[in-house]
Amino acid sequence: MIIIAIVIGCVLGAIIGLNAPTISYTYSGYLAIAIVAALDSVFGGLTSVLKGNFNLKIFLSGFFGNAILSMLLTWLGVKLNVDIYLAAIVVFVGRMFTNLAIIRRYYIEKWSKKEVKEEIKNENEKKTMG
Amino acid sequence: MKKGQITITVTIGLVILILTAVIFIQFKTINQTDITSLENMREDELRTEISNFKTKIEEVNGQIKETDATILEYQEAINSNKQASELLVKELEKQNNLLGKNDVQGSGVIVTLTDTRAQKINSEDLRTLLNELKLAGAEAISINGQRIVYDSYIVDIESTFISVNGVGLVSPYEVKAIGDPTYLESGLSKKQYGYIDTKLEEGKDVTLQRQDNIVINKYNGDLNMEYAN
Repeated sequence: MIIIAIVIGCVLGAIIGLNAPTISYTYSGYLAIAIVAALDSVFGGLTSVLKGNFNLKIFLSGFFGNAILSMLLTWLGVKLNVDIYLAAIVVFVGRMFTNLAIIRRYYIEKWSKKEVKEEIKNENEKKTMG
Repeated sequence: MKKGQITITVTIGLVILILTAVIFIQFKTINQTDITSLENMREDELRTEISNFKTKIEEVNGQIKETDATILEYQEAINSNKQASELLVKELEKQNNLLGKNDVQGSGVIVTLTDTRAQKINSEDLRTLLNELKLAGAEAISINGQRIVYDSYIVDIESTFISVNGVGLVSPYEVKAIGDPTYLESGLSKKQYGYIDTKLEEGKDVTLQRQDNIVINKYNGDLNMEYAN
């Protein structure tokens, strides 16, 4: 059910995005940072779903809060003449990799457990046959 | 399905929708934007561009200075050429005067030789007169309007007329000569052995007249050399 919602959201979002007016190039930097932050939140959400402690409120507040905060930081960096957006990117992308690693390990462990179970099953069957 | 699960599904769908839409907007923006145009450059890029332009301006200014210097040189060359051509024109006029290709005027004498019943003027008389005039310093001479130049000739044609420069002339012969009038006059009118006295003794009619403003026309023929180089 959730997967269907995600697919529908992706397709509709792509259509809307392709038809929406473009924004000024000056602000595209802020938008890029917001996108990275949102992606980080999405991966974080996926990880929490796998861990079983997914909370919609935390997910939503992280999604929008991180995006807005990163945009504000970028703006502040421009005003201070410091490339703060680099720090935001490092943090968010680092966390994305961490979350991806967690997801990857989860599925690999699950898959290998299945194999082990099947082997045990097969052996049991052989024993009963014999 | 529980009510909570529906809410979660719809919310996640909406969130994904927003994210994808924003991502695609960003893709479109980056695709459509001409990064090289000045309006879309970042500040540091603009700085580099400005310094590039400054260097270019300096280069162009240097080139302008060089070009100005070259133009100045050319103008000087043109001026000197003008002077040279003026000199050449003067030189040409001088040479033409010497050759007899220009009308000239000045003070001098007019000698008129007329046939009488007894004596006819022949070419020898004119040749002698020319020599006498040249001796006295005549600078330009003409006989009945025929300019005497370096290849002029004076010959009798069957004692009916005299050919000067190939043009037949008859009496009276008016010989114009430009030069110092005093020298010319005195050279011709020496007592007893002078030209006028000699001719008058021979019974030929010779008159001499001083004039301040004599005009002598230019030579009308061609002055070409075919064999002498």
